[in-house]
Amino acid sequence: MVKTVASKVDPFTLDIVKDSLVAIGEEMFYALARTSMSPIIYEVLDYASGLTDPKGQLLTQGNGVTGFIGMLSFMVRETLQRYNKTGDLKPGDIFLINDPYGGGGSHLCDVGLVMPIFYKGELVAFSANKAHWTEVGGKDAGSMSTDSTEIYQEGLQFPCVKIYDEGKLNQAVVDIIGANVRFPDLSLGDLWAQVAALKTGERRVQELCEKYSRDIVVNSIHHLLDHGEQLALKSLKELPQGIYEAVDFIDDDGIQDGPFRVQVKVEITENEFICDFRGSHPQVTGSINTSLTGLVSAVRTVYLAITNPSQDVNDGSFRPLKVLTDEGSIFNAVRPAPVSMYWESMLFGTDLVWKALAPVVPHRLSAGHFLSVCVAILSGQHQDTNERFLIVEPSVGGWGGAKGSDGASAQFCILDGETFNIPVEVCETRNGVLVDEYSLYTDGAGAGEFRGGHGVVRSYQALTNNQVFTASFGRHKYNVWGAEGGKDGSTNYFEIVKASGEVDGPFGKYNQYPLNKHDVARLVTATGGGYGDPINRPVEKVVDDVKNEYITAEQAERDYGVILDPDTFEIKNYTPERQAKEAR
Amino acid sequence: MRVATDIGGTFTDLVYVDQQGKIGVAKSHTTPPNFEQGVLDVISVSGIGTEQLETFIHGTTVIINALTERKGVKTGLITTKGFRDVLEIARGNRPDLFNIQYEKPAPFVPRYLRQEVEERLNYKGEVIQPLHKERIEEIVSYFKNEKVEAIAVSYLHSYSNPVHEMETVKLIQEIWPEVAVTASYEVTREWREYERTSTTVLNSYVKPIASSYVDRLENKLKEIGNKSNKYIMQSNGGTTTFEQSKQTPINMVESGPVAGIYGSAILGKILGEENIIAFDIGGTTAKCSLIDKGEVKVTTEYNIERTDRTAGYPIKVPVVDIVEIGNGGGSIAWIDDGGSLRVGPQSAGALPGPIAYGKGGTEPTTTDANLVVGRLSPGNFDSNVDMERVKGAIHEKIASHFETSVDEAALGIIRIANSNMLNALKLISVRKGYDPRDFALVAFGGGGSMHAPALAKELGVSKVIVPVAASVFSAWGMLMTDLRHDYIQTYIRRVEAINYSEFNDILTRQEKEAFAQYETEGVKEENVLFSRYVDLRYVGQEHTVKVPVPNGEMNHESMQRVIQEFHQTHERLYTFKLEESPTEIVNLHLIALGSVKKPELARIESNGLSVEDALKEVRPVLYEENGWINTKVYDRAKLNPEAKIAGPAIVEEPTASTVVYPGQTVTVDVYGNLIIEMGV
Repeated sequence: MVKTVASKVDPFTLDIVKDSLVAIGEEMFYALARTSMSPIIYEVLDYASGLTDPKGQLLTQGNGVTGFIGMLSFMVRETLQRYNKTGDLKPGDIFLINDPYGGGGSHLCDVGLVMPIFYKGELVAFSANKAHWTEVGGKDAGSMSTDSTEIYQEGLQFPCVKIYDEGKLNQAVVDIIGANVRFPDLSLGDLWAQVAALKTGERRVQELCEKYSRDIVVNSIHHLLDHGEQLALKSLKELPQGIYEAVDFIDDDGIQDGPFRVQVKVEITENEFICDFRGSHPQVTGSINTSLTGLVSAVRTVYLAITNPSQDVNDGSFRPLKVLTDEGSIFNAVRPAPVSMYWESMLFGTDLVWKALAPVVPHRLSAGHFLSVCVAILSGQHQDTNERFLIVEPSVGGWGGAKGSDGASAQFCILDGETFNIPVEVCETRNGVLVDEYSLYTDGAGAGEFRGGHGVVRSYQALTNNQVFTASFGRHKYNVWGAEGGKDGSTNYFEIVKASGEVDGPFGKYNQYPLNKHDVARLVTATGGGYGDPINRPVEKVVDDVKNEYITAEQAERDYGVILDPDTFEIKNYTPERQAKEAR
Repeated sequence: MRVATDIGGTFTDLVYVDQQGKIGVAKSHTTPPNFEQGVLDVISVSGIGTEQLETFIHGTTVIINALTERKGVKTGLITTKGFRDVLEIARGNRPDLFNIQYEKPAPFVPRYLRQEVEERLNYKGEVIQPLHKERIEEIVSYFKNEKVEAIAVSYLHSYSNPVHEMETVKLIQEIWPEVAVTASYEVTREWREYERTSTTVLNSYVKPIASSYVDRLENKLKEIGNKSNKYIMQSNGGTTTFEQSKQTPINMVESGPVAGIYGSAILGKILGEENIIAFDIGGTTAKCSLIDKGEVKVTTEYNIERTDRTAGYPIKVPVVDIVEIGNGGGSIAWIDDGGSLRVGPQSAGALPGPIAYGKGGTEPTTTDANLVVGRLSPGNFDSNVDMERVKGAIHEKIASHFETSVDEAALGIIRIANSNMLNALKLISVRKGYDPRDFALVAFGGGGSMHAPALAKELGVSKVIVPVAASVFSAWGMLMTDLRHDYIQTYIRRVEAINYSEFNDILTRQEKEAFAQYETEGVKEENVLFSRYVDLRYVGQEHTVKVPVPNGEMNHESMQRVIQEFHQTHERLYTFKLEESPTEIVNLHLIALGSVKKPELARIESNGLSVEDALKEVRPVLYEENGWINTKVYDRAKLNPEAKIAGPAIVEEPTASTVVYPGQTVTVDVYGNLIIEMGV
């Protein structure tokens, strides 16, 4: 327990205002989900919204996905830099920003809005949000390609321009968007939903100032940030100080064969958490580069997982964190590097730190997980309505075992979060496909005392001709890592099963594969890594796993040393290894 | 005579109303696991003759307990081929975003009891692969071997056409008549296969438990000579017959709590207040729900065990829309790692309870704080209260950390608790576009009346109503209910492309289903009341807005008026509308009430005493803005109708305390309710 930071207002009022700020963040968040037009926003919750202080320090962020953590503050800081003269920012202004290299963060599809909040003529906060639009134009539907070589192919760029000037809509910008995107109703619908959420944030902050006075709100903001820092420092002290390293390989970039070596050196001191990615591979030709803001968000995610997974987050929490990288590297790409499939490198920013610290932070970390958003993009015509449809969705996969628990099956990757898969019944109503199968993929990988969770098989059968399928499934060539003697998990892939029966693949990335009626795109995600020696898994659990068809009787013998009757599940014998263990 | 019994965690409550409209209450201990015994006990305590009983209404926690304690039966699931893992894949979401060791909720049916059958419908409900009947026989014999006691059947697109589910159930019943079976179409006709399957499985899981409980209760009531009509409270705010409750017991999941919300609506109607915020503070939680123009809101977005840390399990049946937070009388005050004061969600519960109970509690709670500031009286507890211990704990755990006095710390606890509750109240009102000034707050439960006046001031509602039976208000609400069934059919059409003859056919079919259901329950057609709704959205959106639809046949013109209403509701809820955008229907929702004769409330007689005769004592009470004030404390039982008291004042009754702030005025109405006006 630490002493509260000294302040002149009574401590309970500060806490009440602080909680109110967090509640405002939540309200802004839910309003957006309920009015958005794009499945990627309302089902996948691929967006974030929140408040920052006048300097762009994050106060509260409602998150659907972890990958946006902290990106809001970079957007606000970019706005402050560009509009840095007195009078540049006015009440009612709203800025549009998606430039990945300039504070925008991830890729062009993630469109951010920033609104300064004034109270009695004084700037008191910013309201900001960022959401994945289904479409921002570019060479391919969905604005993501595995074969783009420049950002210009990936859609419209919004370099922090005013979409509202003192409350007046800039119709020219709206018209340009409408003319350049494939589904203008969706993209502009999302824009209006985002604007409404921002205005809600503005109104609530003004009400708060009205009720408690501006000074108390400002004091509470400082209190909130200090509170976040105190929490972070406290949990940092519980971590083992030292230097930890990890190395891994990214498959390829969709154009050039890899592998691309990436690395981290993590240094934990009494009050700092330094992640040094210098020496990782230079930026690449294909679209898997990430910008610095992307990398920072990736590192923040795992940093929070290690320091305070159960707390509200603000910029104070990140004060002890430092991220070092080389400009022009795969983790800090510069214009005009393509970035539309940025998560294929960004996720390594999270995973390298995770892997380096897994042995020393067993109460928070686990063996590796399937490590890719595994996005699938399918477009074509609906068989009944003849309307054009577009599926853009991430996939669920297997997570790693951890000390004390098996890995979770069929969950979205670490950079997603409160993300929902699209129900088969909804998918088949909207799109020209039949989902032939959606079930667990039980390949027996990831054996361990605590075994890895399962990935899934999801199969899309085209119901019309001339559909096109694009996907990026990273972790396709190198297995998910096991930990502490647990076995490695498997890899992600997809294959095309043609109506003729011919199978093409497996692939990890493919741009615009043509599908005709009754061709099937079969998507498979990896099993997570195991944790601990499988020989130590209790016999009853092994028997249950066989009975439930998570593993086969052969695997029970080979990995776990339990020989049983495949029909009755009766234990017949142990292997010598298991016998030795049981005798201990 | 109409009698309602409500089983709670600690007490089983009974409320009755006789021919003259007079209300009586009784309480006895809840008797797990044989809950029916508690019901008999409370009937016996109340002293009512069983032969006088015409109507018996019952609220029970048996279903929610069986679910949360995992006391249901071994259940098997049959799905469409390729989809046996629908329960385990679920939706893939991780509410605890930064928790790498997130544990996904375990399915209620293990994988070896999830079996697949070849069959397939498309989204239009057309059969594209016929049902493989022999496979059903194999599965049933496998389930028999595994000693399964209940079976759930859930196929893709069955909301659109249940033909294969019906055939499957028929087959199972032929082969194995004893087993409990639920097909998904029997519990919900909405799309989304995971949510529908989860609902079906949970219904099957508790079905044998519900049957045996309802049968035992019925037999016991028979034994004591009861011949009344018997009903059970459902989560949708209405009742159903004992017989129907055994078929779809999942509809009883929130049986008790919703009755208080429904009761608030009824009380509002009696008092001429159509817009109500119902507010219930118990020992561990506070619940609230908004009633707009007399209408209790019902949703099918209900979940059990869902928190901001875990995904829980969806149950897609109509449940009164309640927001619940972990703040009640027993909620513990604590300092978090960052040095901030928090209250709840951990609760001291009934045991050890607050420090004041003297049963071993060591952590300061909201109740303890209310004692220190004088809002509760030590004399109003069952046992002696050791105030030094209470103050000592608040000093040690809270005040010393902030370097404040014990009084300030106690008031801090109350302020933080109020702030939490205020956020919940705002969530259902201001944030949904409602103006609190148009609403009255009905406060009940043990702590409702103690906190409501402060919250009412902050929220800005017009008045607070503390009902006469505030501590047994859920049971009171049950007395006032009608029978109710909801029929929700997923029907996805763009509004401009609706074929009105098809549309009206579905509405008529729903109404026929309702009439048929009520016929089996002995309700005449003329007593069945319909209200209809559509769930609408802009094309492209996912979430919908519920809008009322007039009775009678629909056509293009009447639909235009519905759409206008949709635009307005969307604007109120989300601050904008898109009048140029096309709209789409997702669900048709029919509410069918089977109205029953309900008692008129009796007016209370004056006892001839003056207000000053009801004065118990004068004691110092600490207020947020005014500091300590010597405050008059009145005995509610002695107050007459029309009695009027200006705040500051406290009105005490055996289980609760109403705190009236300076500037507020409280009057007793002709039924004995306390009405607190906010003043200026």
